[in-house]
Amino acid sequence: MSSEWPDTLAAAPGQYAACGRGEEHGLGVHWEVLLGITGKDFTIIAASKAAMRGATVLKASDDKTRALNSHSLMAFSGEAGDTVQFAEFIQANIQLYSMRNSMELSPSATANFVRGELASALRSRRPYTVNLLLGGYDEIADKPTLYWIDYLASLAPVPYAAHGYAQYYCLSLLDKHHHPDIDFAQGMKILRMCSEELKRRLPIDFKGLMVKIITKDGIREEEYADDQNVAVP
Amino acid sequence: MIPPPDGGACVAMVGKDCVAIACDLRLGMQALTVSNNFPKIFSYGDVHLGLTGLATDVSTVSDLFRYKVNMYRLREERNISPQTMANLVSSSLYERRFGPYFVSPVIAGINQTSGKPFICGFDSIGCIDFAKDFIVSGTASDQLFGTCEGLWEPDLVSCACSGDMG
Amino acid sequence: MDSLVAQYSRPMHAEEGQTYEDQQELSQMTPELSLKFALPPVASSASWLRAMTDDYSNPNCPIKIAHGTTTLAFRFKGGIIVATDSRATAGNWIASQTVKKVIEINNCLLGTMAGGAADCQYWLAFLGMQCRLHELRHKRRISVAAASKILANLVYSYKGMGLSMGTMCAGVTPQEGPALYYIDSDGTRLAGNLFCVGSGQTFAYGVLDASYKYDLSDEEALELGRRSILAATHRDAYSGGFINLYHVKEDGWVKHGFSDTNPIFWKTKLEKGEFSNVTADLV
Repeated sequence: MSSEWPDTLAAAPGQYAACGRGEEHGLGVHWEVLLGITGKDFTIIAASKAAMRGATVLKASDDKTRALNSHSLMAFSGEAGDTVQFAEFIQANIQLYSMRNSMELSPSATANFVRGELASALRSRRPYTVNLLLGGYDEIADKPTLYWIDYLASLAPVPYAAHGYAQYYCLSLLDKHHHPDIDFAQGMKILRMCSEELKRRLPIDFKGLMVKIITKDGIREEEYADDQNVAVP
Repeated sequence: MIPPPDGGACVAMVGKDCVAIACDLRLGMQALTVSNNFPKIFSYGDVHLGLTGLATDVSTVSDLFRYKVNMYRLREERNISPQTMANLVSSSLYERRFGPYFVSPVIAGINQTSGKPFICGFDSIGCIDFAKDFIVSGTASDQLFGTCEGLWEPDLVSCACSGDMG
Repeated sequence: MDSLVAQYSRPMHAEEGQTYEDQQELSQMTPELSLKFALPPVASSASWLRAMTDDYSNPNCPIKIAHGTTTLAFRFKGGIIVATDSRATAGNWIASQTVKKVIEINNCLLGTMAGGAADCQYWLAFLGMQCRLHELRHKRRISVAAASKILANLVYSYKGMGLSMGTMCAGVTPQEGPALYYIDSDGTRLAGNLFCVGSGQTFAYGVLDASYKYDLSDEEALELGRRSILAATHRDAYSGGFINLYHVKEDGWVKHGFSDTNPIFWKTKLEKGEFSNVTADLV
């Protein structure tokens, strides 16, 4: 199963010219860190705080997340401009749904709505180049949820996820240390292992992580100290 | 015709009064495995549709057929037959002749009227490939062809038929 | 009688079969380029080779070089752990699941192979030969530093010609103690405590870094090496097959099996509850 544009697209100009944007975007997006971990009764979403443009860090306290409703949080990385535009477009439509129907869309419905919008944009004149993690808490099933969506609108429900180069370091670590029934303290411990590994091995400084937690009580930001040095063995 | 891109493996097979369809569960970006729980077979009543190819189109196409088959069922007040489904898939894919979905579908089902097993495969723009024995699709299709050509025989019973796909 | 005298009165060096010049020539480590290897009759052989073998930019390239690996080695209290997978791939085709990616240079020195399979196999075998020659000439075993430098200088002399290898040399010698070097085809040579090399390196690093301490016991270290390779074989499609595990100690290396990843994976998942993203129960 492939989640990568086929080479044939590049070879077929014309109707797909706009889809080539995926290759156009700077390599910078791969350095942005998005992490998601679910546990017994919570979902952790962490995103790097650096806003990078070319060789410059424009901001070191960037918030790459938007709350869609009281129990869904979307973290995003990708092409500058596209990210916030797409996130706020989704945010507005999810909130509109809540107002019209006096009820909130479940996390799985939210994820499929987001995927649908991204997929239809993909075959339009100008697609969004945005990678997403959707953390939520399903109040009906009483379970935390996490969805991985990439800029091609591939959707996968997962117990833990990452985007960019962070995938290459953190997924193996999470494979080993994650269990579905971990409590919040253990979840934060695993997140700490991930962030330390990224600080140790990524060649650039992503300025630490902003951490948000989704539980049955809603979304909150978690203090996340990021001052200790990590030694490379 | 633009061939569908790499991805996944799916095989459908006819046995004695039965069909079998199997797929892998991997979702990956090149060498990186992103998810190990990404099924590529979707069931619409009596008909099972396997979709290999670009992950986003697997979701898009399966959602599209869920909608179309549900509408068919409401209109006709009966399940769609595998043969009708095959023609629906074919015409729906050809609607995107100049901007295809990058999938190669496979259909397996039993026709409830005739009681006969039915399988077929498609290319990404809807050419139907009817087969009496087996259909393979995806990146591992060469390897699946080898196994199927070597081990398939007429009138396999259901346990032998599904064991073949291990 | 005269002929008998003549037979025994030749100079000493002639008896040895090798003149001083011969020996000097033999000790030149780098073989002549154009004499040993045929080059294609084109202006730029390096870029021609790249065009013929780069299956990433051109999936239909005529030559598919075997790539993709996970190898790791780390130093700890009890010596050095060396572990590799065993998969060889050519494009998307798994060419072999039983490749030996650890070369036993001598009973105290190991080399690992990542990158072009043929490049690694050939040049590590060559390194093995040079190490043996060093031993015979100097009547003592070569140091890991020297062995790794032979390889580094060798690959550097071919720089830009398309060699593709990332290797590690691990060994214990009386002069150095346990020593670990990383050498790649760019000419980089680094001494260090912990390296992972290959397409699955990041996955191995992820697991290894999180649990690595210098004070690991032998059993813990072996298990960590095994688990790190398993992690990489799970996430990296170009790594897999068997886990080849070695422990290098003062009195030489010990092999700890060439074990199938599949049963190890399911054992790890079902007994320890790891790999929770893989479903064990279907439908």
